[in-house]
Parts: sequence; structure tokens; C-alpha cells
Amino acid sequence: MLFFQSLISGILTGGVYALAAMGMSLVFGVMNISNFAHGELMMLGMYLAYYLFILFNIDPFIALLIIMPLTFGFGYAVEKTMIGRVIDHPSENQILLTVGFGLIMSNTALLAFTSDPKILTTSYSSSSISLPGDISVSIPMLLSFIITCALTAALYLFLAKTKTGMALRATSQNREAAQLMGIDVSRMSSIAFGTGTLLAASAGAMIAQTYYIDPFAGHTFLLKSFTICVLGGLGSVIGAAVGGIVIGLVEAMSSAYLSTDWKDVVVFVLFLAILLLRPRGLFGRKGEQ
Amino acid sequence: MTRTLAAIALFTAAAAVLPLFLGDNPYVADIIITMLMMASLASAWNIVGGYAGQFSFGHAAYFGAGAYTTSILLTTGNPGIPLCVAAGVAVSCVIALLTGAIVFRLRGHYFALASIAVAEIVRLTALNLDITGGAQGILVTDVSFGALDMNSKNPFYYAMLFLLVFTLCLSAWLRRTRAGFYLLAIREDQDAAASLGINLYLWKNMALLLSAALASVAGSIYAVYIRFIDTSAVLSLRLSIEIILTTIIGGIGTLWGPVLGATLLVSLAEALRSNMIGAFLVNAGAVSEGSAIGKFLNNNLAHAHVLVYGIITVLCILNLPKGILGMFRRKGSA
Repeated sequence: MLFFQSLISGILTGGVYALAAMGMSLVFGVMNISNFAHGELMMLGMYLAYYLFILFNIDPFIALLIIMPLTFGFGYAVEKTMIGRVIDHPSENQILLTVGFGLIMSNTALLAFTSDPKILTTSYSSSSISLPGDISVSIPMLLSFIITCALTAALYLFLAKTKTGMALRATSQNREAAQLMGIDVSRMSSIAFGTGTLLAASAGAMIAQTYYIDPFAGHTFLLKSFTICVLGGLGSVIGAAVGGIVIGLVEAMSSAYLSTDWKDVVVFVLFLAILLLRPRGLFGRKGEQ
Repeated sequence: MTRTLAAIALFTAAAAVLPLFLGDNPYVADIIITMLMMASLASAWNIVGGYAGQFSFGHAAYFGAGAYTTSILLTTGNPGIPLCVAAGVAVSCVIALLTGAIVFRLRGHYFALASIAVAEIVRLTALNLDITGGAQGILVTDVSFGALDMNSKNPFYYAMLFLLVFTLCLSAWLRRTRAGFYLLAIREDQDAAASLGINLYLWKNMALLLSAALASVAGSIYAVYIRFIDTSAVLSLRLSIEIILTTIIGGIGTLWGPVLGATLLVSLAEALRSNMIGAFLVNAGAVSEGSAIGKFLNNNLAHAHVLVYGIITVLCILNLPKGILGMFRRKGSA
């Protein structure tokens, strides 16, 4: 039964990983920038969910309706004032800029909220559904997974059907050609970064009941998001969705059958193996490494 | 070359007599030792990151390997400090060779990510093994070495100074050799360098090995000096990033940039930590001590040095991507 329990919790956790990683992949695809502040954007979502619940008693899942437009605006502004200005710089400078931005965010949070971990407890935080065979499914994780699926579908429709979505994909495929076709590529960058921020913050808000909330909580998710993006193919949003589930499963299985201490090592070894053996990932385009 | 050597000699002479003027002030000595350490680490990173243009985001792994190897040997059998340092260098070189074999196949974003992944594997391994003391770290009690007074700061001051001067001389010399030009060629355009017959893989690995060995010695000295290490002190991603920031802010690819960066950043961190800046603002009458802002500054500025690092980095990248020394450097004269 351990196998089925790990399978289910792996898929549920993987869903949230996938949501965060999709945001990162979208930013990478459109802007060709690796966002090292992505974990901090998740942390932002966690704190927003926490304080909306503590101060206004808004359920974390309902709070998404407030968090999403707020963080989209925040990301849009950050891209306009900061990240967008280095789009033509060497990748090292872009990475350092996002590292610096991440340090500013996490340490501002440290000053504002102190390093004491906060715990968001709702009436259903620790409740779960029991399935036959001693398998339990945590309610908050199940709800997160369902909302993640809905958001993924919405993102897919947005990218596939709307005019802005198509312009985003065109920019992602070939920035110069897109510009020549009359697409405002700098606006696309802002939209991509805003959407990336929105997705990261939503993922953060949804796991706020499951993980401790502290200023450096996003850190572990940063490296996981990268692993997922590389596995799925950097820049591929669908790849990130599949990659998230795979990494969630790998983690759950290695903590069940190996040990909890080594699960992150397994993920990083897998990451290096993908980089070496199939650097364009499962769904990436050829010749992108 | 003679001018560079003269500058290094002058710097060494000034630094060598500095402790005589400081008297017996362990607080100031400690700050200067930290400066020398960060300057050595940043100079070591500069060889692979600045000259060869390969931004390793995992240099804490080599520093940590030196620190851990030294501490483990000192607590288990104490074969003498020089042997501990040598063993640390050996371990670091092995890690560097393994890292190089993986990461130098990749470029740009992928290279940066892979170097972080390797360093994280090293950190998690140290955190989970018994021999490295796990999350508790290692406490070293016996660091005796010959007739030296290991309770004074002087041995560590001169050890770090020696390492820094050695690293500076090596960097200055390397820049004039054929190998140094290969590294610069690789930094400027890898494909062009390869087409001229430069073995990219070989020279990148050489630069990394050299850099890792130097970082490992810094780690060994740190371990003997502080006598306590754990993964968050010597293997964290934050340390790797601080090493890069020190180099970038001072001036990447220059000889003195890392030294300048370390001097600025370590003094800044200390000024914030000891609340000198907060006290200054209060004394200057800019904010009153009892007001909300005054209280906030007094309570919080001590934790703010990483925040200030972040702000400096962002401003640096947006406004002077070549660092402080890079600003004064004429174009083309690297």
C-alpha cells in the first residue's frame, strides 16, 4: 500500500511543483531569462495567503482571486523597471540580476515578518479523505491539485486561443521575427513575467497550508522548478506540467523506498543526468542547449 | 608586469606590518581576516569566472570540501595541519574534476544551473552523512601547530594574507602566459577559440582545478580559525553567491577587483551588523532614537546586510555591469 500512497501524494505534490515550474518556463521561453527569484515569488504568494487569512479571514483558495491580479501587476512592474532592461545582456548578468532581486525580496520579508516560521491553519488543514487500503489523501493538497489542473487548462487555452497568447508563443519561438510581424515584444515580456509571477505566487498560496512559511521557504522550490523545466524542456509550458508530476513522483518514491534525507539528492542527480543525456528535455525544441 | 608585481609587493608589505599598528584588537583583526578570506575566494573564483568567463555558481563546494576535510582529519587523528590542507586540496580537486566533466559540456543558463546542482549535491551529502556530523557540524578542539600560539589571531592573519598574495601573483602570472590568453579567448568567444585549435574542455578544467584548489585552502584555514563548521556556514548557495557578488562589485576579470569588492562588502556587512550606520543616523540627528524609524533601524539594520548586497547587485548590473574597477578600465585593455 506504500506504493499507492506514494503514488497519490507524489502526483498531488507534483501538481503544485508543475504550476510553479510552468511560470518559470513561460518566462524562459518568452524572455530567454532564467529567473532565480522564482522561489521568492512563491514565498510572496505564501505570505499573501497567510496574511489575507489572518487579517481578513479569507480562505487561502478563495484568496487566489485577490492574489492573482495583485501578483500579475507586481510581476509586470518588476519586468518593466528591472528585468526587462537586461534582456540583451549576457545570461550571467541576467542571472545575477534575478539573484539580487531574490535577495532583496527574501531579506525584505525577513525584516518585515522575522525569520519565525508561520503556520497557516484552516479548519480543514489537517483533514484527509481515507481511501480503501489505508490510503489517505490530504484535503488541501487535493484542492490544490484540482485548482492547479484548472489553472493549467486556463493557461493552455490562453496560449492556444487568444491573440495575446499566440503573440506570446510567437515571441517565444523567434523574438526578432515576432517583432517584424508587428508584435510588441517588450509588452509580451512584461505579460510573460507577470503571468510567471502569478503562477508562482498561486502555487505558493496553495501550499501555504502544507509547508512552513518563512522568508526562505521558496529556496527549495527554485531548484526543483529548474529541474522540472529542464526535464520538460526549458521554455515548454506543457513540458513543465508533465515534468512537475514526474519530479513529484520521483520524490515521493525515493522518500518511500530510499530515505527522506536523500530525496533531494536523487532529484539533483536526475537533473544532471537529463542535462547530459537529453539537454533539450522531453518536450524541448532541438538545438536549444 | 613589473608594475603589477610592484603593486602586489607594496600591498603585501603594507598588509604585513598592519597587525603591528592594530595592537591587540581581536575584533578588528577578525574583520580583516574575513576580508582577506573573501578576497582570496573571490580572486580564486575570478580565475574561472573572470578570466575564462565560466560563471560557476557552486564555489562553496570547494571551500566547504577544504573546511570539512581539514576538520574531519583534525578530529579523527590530527596528522598535522599541512597534511590536512593538502588532503583538502586533493578532495576539492576530485570534486572539481567530477564537476568539470559534467558542467563544461554545457553553456550559459545550463552551465550555471548544473554548477548549482553539483554544489547542492555536495551540501546535501555533507548534511546526511555521519562522518561530516550531519546538521550538527564538526567542532574542532585541538588545532595545535608547532610552537605557534593558535589562540592569537596572527597565524590566521598571515596564513590568509599569504594565500591572497599567492592567488594574486598566480593570477597576474597566468594573465601573461599562453594559458591565460587561451582562457580570455574562451571567455570572449568559445566557438572562435575552438576553431583556432584551443582545447576548450582542457583549459576550462585547468582553470576550475586551480580555482578549486585555492578555494579549498581558504576553507582549510577557515576551519582551523573558527574551529566549528556546518553546512550552512561553509557549503551554502549563499556563500557561492557572495563570492560572485564580491568579484562582480569590485570588477570582474581584473586583478584587484576581488580585493576591492571584499574590502567594501565585508566592511559594509560589519558596519550594518554592528549597527554603526543606524547609530550614525541617530547621532547625526537624521532620525531620533525614540521614533518609530529609529527603533526600527536599531532593531533591524543588523540583519539587513544581505538586503543591501541585493540592492547593490541590482544597481551594479543595471548601471555598471563591469564593476567598480571595470568603470575605470579602458576598452580593450583587459
